[in-house]
Amino acid sequence: MKAMISFKNIVKRFGPRTVLKGISFDVAEGEILFVLGTSGTGKSVLLKNIVGLMRPDEGEIWIDGQEVSRIPEDDYLPVRKKCGMVFQHPALFDSMTIFDNVAFGVRRHEDLPEDQVGERVTRCLQLVNLSGVEQKMPGEISYGMQKRVSLARTVAVGPKILLFDEPTTGLDPVTTSAVNQLIKDLSRSLKTTSMVVSHDMRCALEIADRIMVLDQGHIIAQGTPEELKRSEHPLVRDFLDEAVNA
Amino acid sequence: MTWTRLPFIAGGIAILEDIGGCLLFVGEAFRTALKRGIPVHETFVQIWKVTMQSFSTTALAGFFVGALMTVQFSLLVRNFGALGFLGGLSTSATIREVGPLLIAFMLSGKVGAYTSAELGTMRVTEQIDAIRCLGASPFQEIILPRIVGIIISSFFLLLVGLMMSIAGGLLLGILFAHINSDEYLRNVPTIVNAFSIGTGLFKCLVFAILLATICTYKGYSTTGGSKGVGQSVVATAVSTMVGIVVADWVTSVISEAILNLAVGR
Repeated sequence: MKAMISFKNIVKRFGPRTVLKGISFDVAEGEILFVLGTSGTGKSVLLKNIVGLMRPDEGEIWIDGQEVSRIPEDDYLPVRKKCGMVFQHPALFDSMTIFDNVAFGVRRHEDLPEDQVGERVTRCLQLVNLSGVEQKMPGEISYGMQKRVSLARTVAVGPKILLFDEPTTGLDPVTTSAVNQLIKDLSRSLKTTSMVVSHDMRCALEIADRIMVLDQGHIIAQGTPEELKRSEHPLVRDFLDEAVNA
Repeated sequence: MTWTRLPFIAGGIAILEDIGGCLLFVGEAFRTALKRGIPVHETFVQIWKVTMQSFSTTALAGFFVGALMTVQFSLLVRNFGALGFLGGLSTSATIREVGPLLIAFMLSGKVGAYTSAELGTMRVTEQIDAIRCLGASPFQEIILPRIVGIIISSFFLLLVGLMMSIAGGLLLGILFAHINSDEYLRNVPTIVNAFSIGTGLFKCLVFAILLATICTYKGYSTTGGSKGVGQSVVATAVSTMVGIVVADWVTSVISEAILNLAVGR
């Protein structure tokens, strides 16, 4: 199957500290890849390199057949239109209503009449099981709802790739489960390639096609959830034990 | 220990890096404005917001600046029997120097701190990253409207503050120095000429530009969560006040040079 995302020997440094030490992997079209790792191992850095918020110091990143690691900021727009990113924080614009938040990307990329923008917003909010919140401000809805609005905003521009940075951080177990199911359903129904970054093995076992474990800038294990369950690597065992205990 | 780690040297390097970062930031803002334009609606929203937020405070501060100048000058001129010059002296000093400076200080505390905190929070809660990821330019969406909006509204607020300071000076002249309004205003045109007004306006414009660029730059370059937002707000207050004092000196020197050229000295 065609690789939608390819990392080739990616190195990323922050001052004297090397966070990614020659990482290489592919994400196939339509696949849900879950990247696991403890805090500070560079999981979010992987995603930020894909959307161009950071650039690698060495190596190549290929998105949908295009090498993107060296292209100028002004030429990154088409790449970002392919990649929708859901941030660790909901990152909703405080001064805008939920409607305007979800419509933000649509209005900037597509020359649609306002009634069609409205239809798109309503449809995307329905996809994340929200309705009747369009005219509310972000501060008027719960954190879990804000996360779902953030997902709706990302989906609204029709990306081929969905990137999730710690999507369930700060959520209660019930909402976590709902968000996980939502990620899986959206990835399947919209036929997107998805990459989820988290430290929650339980979520990974629930929704991933493939799991990749990152530690100290290296990939230490990867495979399907079933393969990972059989891993003998101590860190992977720790994650699995934590998931069982949870 | 290398020489760059010496406190004075390290501090100097940090200041130069800060100035360099701010200049690059302004350059990027210009580039974006030329390439993508300035969003008119959002700019008007900012002008309205900043003006409404600070109008009453600026007017009040301006009034008391003028009042203060009149009280101080009246104590001096009374001894020389020159109360007739009180209005001219007080108004001239207020318009040329004290008014723009003190009102700009107040605006830096209010508008500067607010904008820096707002942008800093947007940065640490990843709203600015989200704008980029949604294929838009943060400079076009949030920076340019704020820079242009703050420049226009701060300039306007400074003018309002100056007018109120003249009113404050006049009122205190009547109440404190016991001179009537005609007497207070008679010598104003003699001392306050077009050059004084021009100098005051020039300073107002320079302070407004400084305030707008420093607070947006500090907010935009925030790092490190809520603590980082707090640090940015403090850095904004310090940088704008130091910047305004330095700019005040520079604009005074420039104005003086222009005056000397004009009169052929």
